[in-house]
Amino acid sequence: MDKILVVQPAKCTGCRTCELICSFTHTGEFNPEISRISVLTYEKVGFSVPMVCQQCGVAACMEVCPVGAIAKNNVTGAMEVQDSKCIGCKMCTIACPFGAIHYHAVNNIVSKCDLCGGDPACVKLCPSGAISYVEANAGSISKRKAFAAKFKNVFEEVS
Amino acid sequence: MKIRIDQQEIDVNPGETILEAARQNGINIPTLCYHEAFGGQGMCRMCMVEVKTAHSTNLVASCTYPINEVIEVHTSTPVIEKARRTIIALLYRTAPQSEFMKKLYQEYKCVENQLEINENERCILCRLCVRACEEIGSSAISAILRGTEKRISTPFDEASTVCIGCAACANICPTGAIELSQTPAGRTIWNRTFAVVTCQRCGQAFATREQLDYIAQHTGIKGSESKLCDDCRKKNLAAQIEQYAQ
Repeated sequence: MDKILVVQPAKCTGCRTCELICSFTHTGEFNPEISRISVLTYEKVGFSVPMVCQQCGVAACMEVCPVGAIAKNNVTGAMEVQDSKCIGCKMCTIACPFGAIHYHAVNNIVSKCDLCGGDPACVKLCPSGAISYVEANAGSISKRKAFAAKFKNVFEEVS
Repeated sequence: MKIRIDQQEIDVNPGETILEAARQNGINIPTLCYHEAFGGQGMCRMCMVEVKTAHSTNLVASCTYPINEVIEVHTSTPVIEKARRTIIALLYRTAPQSEFMKKLYQEYKCVENQLEINENERCILCRLCVRACEEIGSSAISAILRGTEKRISTPFDEASTVCIGCAACANICPTGAIELSQTPAGRTIWNRTFAVVTCQRCGQAFATREQLDYIAQHTGIKGSESKLCDDCRKKNLAAQIEQYAQ
């Protein structure tokens, strides 16, 4: 079974190391602007949450791509963007219900989390263990489901 | 099947084009009208290579030449270099306003020619935009007129009824020939101004109505027809998680 990224906001300190390492791993520069994971911080209440692609079972980005530039990696289960095939219609960025795929004018590509080919750098570098990469077994999926159930109204809006 | 490209022996599948085989093996052949999403078109002729078969030696467009027999390919010989320089010089004359073509013209040290210059043109008729629009499923643009008047446009230069304003054509154009303007009033492309949908949270224009319809139709995912831009969709979700966590 595929492994999944599990984010635990309660453990996130808002240090943004994940953003830096994500950008560095994919582009060789430390630029949070082009990171595929982004930390949103609510300073008044001291709360931070890293937001990243869910690698949906039925992925809107993949469904809408007219040239098949987004394909599922059968090993990791990640939807991966093939830059050389992308024609730049940006339809995927509008279609994603979670806002997890973005167009970057700097390098003229759309980018999203690709699970670093099965070894996510953000997981390795997160100092507080807020992001983990675990087997999608019955236990972790039921935890995800329980979490999602509490967000029923949120997910009804977006999916 | 084994063939030789620039003295390097490589394995190819019958039917594969020379360009694909070369690129997979790290051999670079310059192209203008080739895009991985569509394959070769044979329009620009930049990818010319010399092919030696048992019987003859020919210059061919590598992007559309399928390998069906044992051949020897050379990607850079004096003959090819000269052909490439000529092609670029001709294309530059066709589109002298394009910075991209100007750079290429200088980079390849092309020689002057006596052809008439098409003063205000930036298009080299590579048709990448036409192919992109076909893939989207709109086919709003194509090459119109014939001979020296040939250019890319909508039928009769009228505002297209099938264009969805996605601007993939402008994005894929290598020479920056397609006019696109985006103002708060709308997005204008191919003689048509589209009303833009603005994000309910930050007010940024992020799509056209037609794009949202296209997405709803192609994904069948209800939530994808959002009134928020991609950044705000993320922020909205994070805010809801924050609410829950408190």
